[in-house]
Amino acid sequence: MNASERYFWDLAGYVILRNVLNPGQIAAANEAIDLHLDRMRTADDNLGAGDSHALRGTGRPTMHDLLQLERPYCEPFREMLVHPAVVLRLNVMCGTGFRLDHGPLLISGFKGTEGLTMHGAGEPHRPHVAYHHQNDGTYCGGVTVSWQLADVNPGDGGFVCVPGSHKARYPMPTGVRTCDDDMGTVVQPAMRAGDVLFFMDGAQTHGTRPWQSERPRRSVLYKYASRSSVRGGPARELAPPEIYWGEELVDGMTPEQRAVMFGPCSNHGGEIPFLALNDDGTVHVER
Amino acid sequence: MSASRYEMSAEERYFFDLRGYLVVRNALSSDEVAECNAAIDHFAERVSTRSVEDQSLAGGSSALSGAQGRKELTGMLGWPAPYREPFRRLLIHPVVVSRLNELSGKGFRLDHGPLLIGAEAGSEGHRLHGAGEPFSPSVWYHHQNDRMYCRGVTVAWQLADVNEGDGGFCIVPGSHKTREPTPAGVRSVEDPMDLIVQPVLDAGDVLFFAESATHGTLPWTGEHERRSVLYKYASRAAARATGRHFTPEARWGNWVRDLTPEEKAVLYGPGVHTGKDFPRLQSDGHKTSIA
Repeated sequence: MNASERYFWDLAGYVILRNVLNPGQIAAANEAIDLHLDRMRTADDNLGAGDSHALRGTGRPTMHDLLQLERPYCEPFREMLVHPAVVLRLNVMCGTGFRLDHGPLLISGFKGTEGLTMHGAGEPHRPHVAYHHQNDGTYCGGVTVSWQLADVNPGDGGFVCVPGSHKARYPMPTGVRTCDDDMGTVVQPAMRAGDVLFFMDGAQTHGTRPWQSERPRRSVLYKYASRSSVRGGPARELAPPEIYWGEELVDGMTPEQRAVMFGPCSNHGGEIPFLALNDDGTVHVER
Repeated sequence: MSASRYEMSAEERYFFDLRGYLVVRNALSSDEVAECNAAIDHFAERVSTRSVEDQSLAGGSSALSGAQGRKELTGMLGWPAPYREPFRRLLIHPVVVSRLNELSGKGFRLDHGPLLIGAEAGSEGHRLHGAGEPFSPSVWYHHQNDRMYCRGVTVAWQLADVNEGDGGFCIVPGSHKTREPTPAGVRSVEDPMDLIVQPVLDAGDVLFFAESATHGTLPWTGEHERRSVLYKYASRAAARATGRHFTPEARWGNWVRDLTPEEKAVLYGPGVHTGKDFPRLQSDGHKTSIA
């Protein structure tokens, strides 16, 4: 990772490597997807757009479990998992021992597919995905690597971000979150099939603009984390105390005691309780 | 320093942010201390003593050497009733919940422990470890917009007094914010530069310290036995211990069995207590391999 890449990464919160995949590799990955289109799932309309006017559209198509496809169709995605260009950069961005937290996930889109409201930022601080720089070292708890299997031209939509927002110390304005009044801060990087995008997932403000192109969107996202950060994926299933510690250890615990025995996980959908105090000093469970 | 035992005061916030540790006095009554000690005494045969020959924690320091290693006991939360009960109460004691909700955020969790650390007069110390530099993400201390974020906090309950000069827990106040490397003499305590503090504690007191602060143990010189029970907490999405589902197979399922060693290497679970054999990847930009 050269000095220019480090500068751009630290400044903008994302970086794009050009022409990492050759046409044969792009074609193999697209063929694997084409032969498994029955696995594509389309979400309900406007689940991602929420209260935004600018982001409204039809539901987003996605495909999971790409590493588990039968051979040879899993192979392009397994190669991307530990691609030398990825390993070289993640050892710098996340530190050695980085790991796949969840994914890969194909995000597709057709003309009119909705966007996704902007999320992530330097404020409020979220330690498991936050960005930090110290003594010439750069560190990020969560990095998403997005492989492009189709071109993304200016104005096509798709991935958008607010450069520099990983260092923000003020709350994101509502208009930026919804893209209804983005203050000119939101950019949509143009990319070619074969390019790979790295972005700070959770630290940087990012989202999706509605897809405008006649050609379908095809981005495959791998969600990596540093060695000690935990977001979702298997962590959610493994978090319950009986699974994480074993039934014998937690047998007979009160709900309040169980609450601090859940395994690490941030994307738990409100399933993990937390503790609060009553006025008399007793502890109770909240969700 | 607190108006209420169950509320973290402005003074306590100031002290923890400045120093990297905090003591809450008289958190346990004498009866509660006695109940914990009786449970430990009941399982006295399970207490192990570290060998100073091949399990020494002194790191070769002349200032930390001792005639014997520290004593250790684990498993309290899984003991049969009634012996586990006092330790399960400590796990979510309101004094702990009120402080950890501030220090580590709501949803904090037990990462590992509890661990009883015991010592008799002449027991060795533990080389000082932890610091703001080099940066350790798993226990990162950060302050932003009037809030503290400490990813690793250890809560040490005192079941015996620690008088001035007794030894035991020691810390370099403020070191969780340092940006310069810790001098070797401070780590070994052979040249402490007047930076190391050994807090005086009474049985029933509870000590909170940031794992990112430089801390360790001075040789025990007290005539009575040292007894501290340490609970290692983490913020919701931080992991130090690797847990029971660390391997790729345990975490993702049997489909990973035909992956290459390099592909498997990124599918291990979270945690920094990985052991020496944990595979880490390297790349020159053209080829990925295990370092």
